[in-house]
Amino acid sequence: MHSGRIALVTGATQGIGAAIAARLASEGAIVGVNGPVRDARMDVVVTAVDGFPAVADVSDPDAVAAMVGEIERTRGPVDILVCNAAYMTMAPLIEHDDDDWWKIIDTNLAGTVYLIQAVLAGMRDRGGGNIVIMSSEWGVIGWPNATAYSASKAGLIALTKSVGRELAPEGITVNAIAPGVIDTPQLQVDADDAGTSLEQMHEQYRRSIPLGRIGKPEEIAAAVSLLARADMGAFVGQTIQINGGATRCRT
Amino acid sequence: MSPVALVTGASSGIGAAVATALDGYDVVALDLNEPAPFGVDVSDAVAVTDAIRLSPGPIDVVVSAAGHYESIPIADITVEQLNRMLRVHLGGLRNVVRAVLPSMIERRTGAIVAVTSELAVGGGDADAHYAAAKGAIIGFVRSLSAEVAEYGIRINAVAPGPTDTPLLAADSPWRAAEYLKTLPARRLARPAEVAAAVRYLVEAQFCTGEVLSPNSGAVI
Repeated sequence: MHSGRIALVTGATQGIGAAIAARLASEGAIVGVNGPVRDARMDVVVTAVDGFPAVADVSDPDAVAAMVGEIERTRGPVDILVCNAAYMTMAPLIEHDDDDWWKIIDTNLAGTVYLIQAVLAGMRDRGGGNIVIMSSEWGVIGWPNATAYSASKAGLIALTKSVGRELAPEGITVNAIAPGVIDTPQLQVDADDAGTSLEQMHEQYRRSIPLGRIGKPEEIAAAVSLLARADMGAFVGQTIQINGGATRCRT
Repeated sequence: MSPVALVTGASSGIGAAVATALDGYDVVALDLNEPAPFGVDVSDAVAVTDAIRLSPGPIDVVVSAAGHYESIPIADITVEQLNRMLRVHLGGLRNVVRAVLPSMIERRTGAIVAVTSELAVGGGDADAHYAAAKGAIIGFVRSLSAEVAEYGIRINAVAPGPTDTPLLAADSPWRAAEYLKTLPARRLARPAEVAAAVRYLVEAQFCTGEVLSPNSGAVI
């Protein structure tokens, strides 16, 4: 399905990102596994997906440009960009440290802009490309003590709509996915905020979801695979919500 | 034995593309233009139930794609035209779902995908009765998704933009170059794209009550 295409997946060393890397690789893509540092965790994913390391802190525009530049020089333009890297902490708005609050915005929202800007010239050279942006259920419905995270993820939905409109005429699709509660290490942040254990957090979420369970990273990766296809050009600026029926909202 | 998928409107356009995309499934194809006994009008609940009895096995998947399109200014829509629109689109979905739901609940599994339209989300000029029927489908899907989730049954919708099918007449304004220019993707959606979205939803085990809209950017 993605045979021979070059994919860059940010935040791919764990959780949803690692599942996306595995899914795209299993369908033939050559996957760049991004994380902020080269470490053992990254090497494990790189080996597992037979891909290549792609190191950059996505909140640093120069580092992003350098990473994409190196991919283009050594392998060619990026065909599939999956903007999945995210940073999250939770705190009541007036208690949330200023620098930490902005780090969430700068990583999740600004970082995605930097990535799109970095791959754009290469996609234009190729005559097309597919960009998938990871938003969140909290970007749709909001969440207490998550003002920065929700703002960043809602911003990504609007960014997807705008850049989707802007780039569709050039054969570059931009779409988003808004996962609900998925079984990833990030849930520990939720549990800490709620002052409860990870197990209790799972149980609490499970009860609130109509389908009666939390989601799996592979279930998000399946939607990425659909939106990353080169023959799905009718998908423009859309956000797919995958949350076990938790919201049923229009994005 | 392969799982069984019931597809309405399966003889042409999006329904036919869905039937093709569901490889690995034993497809039961209902359509006005199918030969007996599957040549049924989906607005006829009894005929739908009778046809479904002939399925080779319990139905695991339903895709409701039967429909027709006509553009009529609001003042000129007759009672008959309005009723026909509601009974085919909303009624067709309701009839097939009513017929298969008891078995799905009993077996605690099932995936339903309704084909609605981008016009249900964005509306359109001289599209009041079509948009009303297609919008009603979205309300039905979102409500039923909450109602049957506890049984492990999922229901989602696909809302395509204007798609290159026989439903769009050769002289349709949506085929005109002036209209296509207004679409960010600059072209009609293709039946295979809509069918791929349907297939994704059939298999998306954590997705319910959702509406996917491959519409070339007509509604974002």
